[in-house]
Formats: sequence, C-alpha cells, structure tokens
Amino acid sequence: MNELVMLGHVFFGVACLLSTVWVFVEVLNASVANQARIRNVSRAAAVFMWFAFLVGGYWYVTSYHTDKAIILKGPWPFAHNFFMETKEHLVILLLLLVTYLPIAAAGNLAANPDARRVVLWVAGLIVLLAMTMEGEGGLIAMGVKMGLLAK
Amino acid sequence: MKAILENVGVSKYTKSFGLSLAFASVVNGLLVVAKEKSPAVQAGMQRLTGHHWVTHSVIILGLFAAGGWLLAQPNGGQGIKLTASRLIGIVLAGVVTGGLIILGFYLIGD
Repeated sequence: MNELVMLGHVFFGVACLLSTVWVFVEVLNASVANQARIRNVSRAAAVFMWFAFLVGGYWYVTSYHTDKAIILKGPWPFAHNFFMETKEHLVILLLLLVTYLPIAAAGNLAANPDARRVVLWVAGLIVLLAMTMEGEGGLIAMGVKMGLLAK
Repeated sequence: MKAILENVGVSKYTKSFGLSLAFASVVNGLLVVAKEKSPAVQAGMQRLTGHHWVTHSVIILGLFAAGGWLLAQPNGGQGIKLTASRLIGIVLAGVVTGGLIILGFYLIGD
C-alpha cells in the first residue's frame, strides 16, 4: 500500500511537471485557437499538483518516520537532514506557484503580451522547482537504499 | 473598451495573488527558521493539527488565499496598480528569497 501511495505521489508530480511544460510551449504560441486549451491544461497542472501534495503529505505524516530512521542510521544522513527537510518546505512554494498558474492564465493571453510574460515566468519557475523536487525525491530514496545496504 | 483594456496590463487577481504568493513564499521560509529554532513554536504547531508540517502548510496556504483576496480590494475593488514587469520582479524575488532562506538554513543554519 505504501508503495502505491508513493507511486501516486510521483505520478501526479510528473503529470504536473509535464502539464506545465505544455502550458509554457502553448503560451509561446498563444492565439485565440489555443487559449481555452492553455487554461484547461493550467487547471490540470494545479489539480495534479494538489493530488501530489495531498498524497505525498499523507505518506510523509503517516509513514515517513520508518524511512527516516533507516536514513539517519545509514551512511547518507544528509538525505533526510538536507534533502527531505528542504523538500517538505520547498514543495509548499511549488504548490503556491501551481495554484497561481490558472489565475495568471485566465487573462487574454492571445492579445496581451503582459499576461503572457507573467504566465511564462510562473511556468518556468514551476518547471525548475518541480525538477528540483523530483531530484530530491530520488536522493531521499537513495538514502533509504544506502541505509538498508549498510545493515 | 473592455477588449482594449484586456490587451494591456494584467488582471487584478493576477496582481493580488502574485503579490500574495511572493509574501507567502518569504513567510514560508521564515516560519521554517522559527519552528526549527524554537521548540515552543514547533510544539505549538504540532499541537494545532497533530503535525507541525500540516499546520505550516495550512498557515501558508491560508495566507496566500487571504492575501490574494485582500489585495484585490483596494481602489474601489479594482485592485493594486502595478505593471506586469514589476509584478514579475516581485514574484521572482519572493520565491527566490523564500527558497534561499530554506536552502541556506538547512545548509548552514541548522
């Protein structure tokens, strides 16, 4: 069950990342024809992120303590002390940005270059931060592996 | 007239929630430092919801939502006057500052 929860967290996180890249590319080519699609995909990115956050948060609150103990006794304690500690708080920034994306994308992007610039910057920040979260998640999983190998 | 106005600047909610996002990002970083440095703060946050991280998330998300709504109210409900470039600068500064506080704290401060 725990593995399914984690898979769900990663799946929704990657879906959010891909949706945001999609929004970024569509906004570079914004027109009347793709405006509705931009709004729909930006909403989808927000929904995916909220699922990733809630599923990951549930796992963090209920199950992470087991992995944490393994990491801290293993050769990679920094996987918790730095990577998990920063991930659990940086992810809140990511959630704020992705929640903001559909608000920024609600303007007339086809005709308004100012509105396009805001969405491009926000989407760019989301992609950077989401990739950081993916990398940190990988390093935390490696920390558990290293702890188990050392036993 | 409405069509012309839609082609310049950004909407009041884009501005208000953008400013709120920048502010909440910095508060997010400062709250990390406060709860890690003060056991009383961390214990209080733990007591409120059963887990300090849940309380932390609720505070920041609540701040973002309330700030976004409040900042849309000035100027007779038309929101704050701000250029898109200024808004982008503020959002960028807020997110980068909030992120650096967290990274810096766990890298050297903890």
